Amino acid sequence: MSNRRMDKAETEAIRNVLAGNRDAYRVLMDRHFCSVTRVAFRITGNEADAEEAAQEAFLRAYNKLPTFRQDSTFSTWIMRITMNTAINLVERRNRDLSYHAPRISDEASTTNHTVKIADRQAGPEGILLNREAAGLRQAAMAELTPMERTAFTLRHMEDIPMGEIAAALNVTTNSAKQAVFRAVSKLRRSLTPIAGGLR
Amino acid sequence: MKHFSEEDLIAYQLHESSDESTISMHLESCSECADLSESIAETLRVFSADPVPQPDLEHNWQRLRGNLRVLTPERPRGFELFRWHWAWPVAGLTTAALILLTVFGTHIHRIGARHNIAVNGHGPLTTEPTDPSIANHLDAAERLLTEVNNSSGPLDDATREQAHSLLLQNAVYVRSARDSGDFAEAAVLENFGRVLTTLDNEPPTSHSTWRLRLEMNTSGLLLDIRILRQNDDHSQGVSQ
Repeated sequence: MSNRRMDKAETEAIRNVLAGNRDAYRVLMDRHFCSVTRVAFRITGNEADAEEAAQEAFLRAYNKLPTFRQDSTFSTWIMRITMNTAINLVERRNRDLSYHAPRISDEASTTNHTVKIADRQAGPEGILLNREAAGLRQAAMAELTPMERTAFTLRHMEDIPMGEIAAALNVTTNSAKQAVFRAVSKLRRSLTPIAGGLR
Repeated sequence: MKHFSEEDLIAYQLHESSDESTISMHLESCSECADLSESIAETLRVFSADPVPQPDLEHNWQRLRGNLRVLTPERPRGFELFRWHWAWPVAGLTTAALILLTVFGTHIHRIGARHNIAVNGHGPLTTEPTDPSIANHLDAAERLLTEVNNSSGPLDDATREQAHSLLLQNAVYVRSARDSGDFAEAAVLENFGRVLTTLDNEPPTSHSTWRLRLEMNTSGLLLDIRILRQNDDHSQGVSQ
């Protein structure tokens, strides 16, 4: 991601935005909003918070655009903002015990605030996506700290390099690695009943 | 056989290990580590399967657009510095002018306030008394010294009693003058204190009184006390 140079269309879009054309920002949003929401979803764990974090990240990026030096690509920059925004949102939610955002589940339920998402990855692993497994996964992820959850999901699910995760989290690469290792270790123990766990 | 830790095997499964080939070879021959490695791989597979919802781009854009203000590019840093270049000399000149005004203002004020300059061998007696009650002390001191200066015979008991009382008070005013930095006044009062000490301790004979008068006039103490008192009168008159 960081190795990609910003292409002409993005540079042009930024120039137009800075010249006062707000609609030019749509180009950047079309290109990056999905990946940003995806990362935000990994961190927050629910669709509503993921969209809120993504919206906030894009708004922050827009307001900071006059100071964006283009030393890195826009995608790297917006991803860093997104990670910070999403982590802050998770911490805010944790402090606000009355908040119950909709969570992902195999069955949609208004009483449990859960929503169902279409599974686009049907395959051998689909067997594990039954109700019990989904519940266990949710519980296991909830046991992780925001940093562990972020580092793990971004490294494992989004395949973002450790250095980039570390920079976004404002920690050393080694600290980010340790956070991922701790997360995997915790998850493995939590999932002992369905995924083998410690034998 | 050396086994690998859970952390080593997690790093291996995530392709973050620096010793991947060694671990791979070890796993072929060690079933214990192979089981642990497979358990880690299963955990990772379970979490790889998480579906991600797709956002509605149009809806999100409309929501976002309402919050976007019209931007203008930030001025280049060099231009900012250039723009403020004129400010430094102006700030420097203003500061210098303020310092000069303060110095001259203070100087003029001091010259205006300084009406009497003692030239009595101890440096100028320039500063007005800082303690208002010292005026009474200086007045009493002048009266006592005048009386001593004019008397021909031994001093009476009342004058000696007054000298004793003034001696006790004088120590306080010497200290006050030193504390306020008025060393000229402190020096005069110290001289006065020495005369008072002599007066308080000398036997009441005509010889001792004569010696006191000589000491006072030699040091010009009475004159110094008068100057201090006049300074005090003037400063009070100015302040009123």
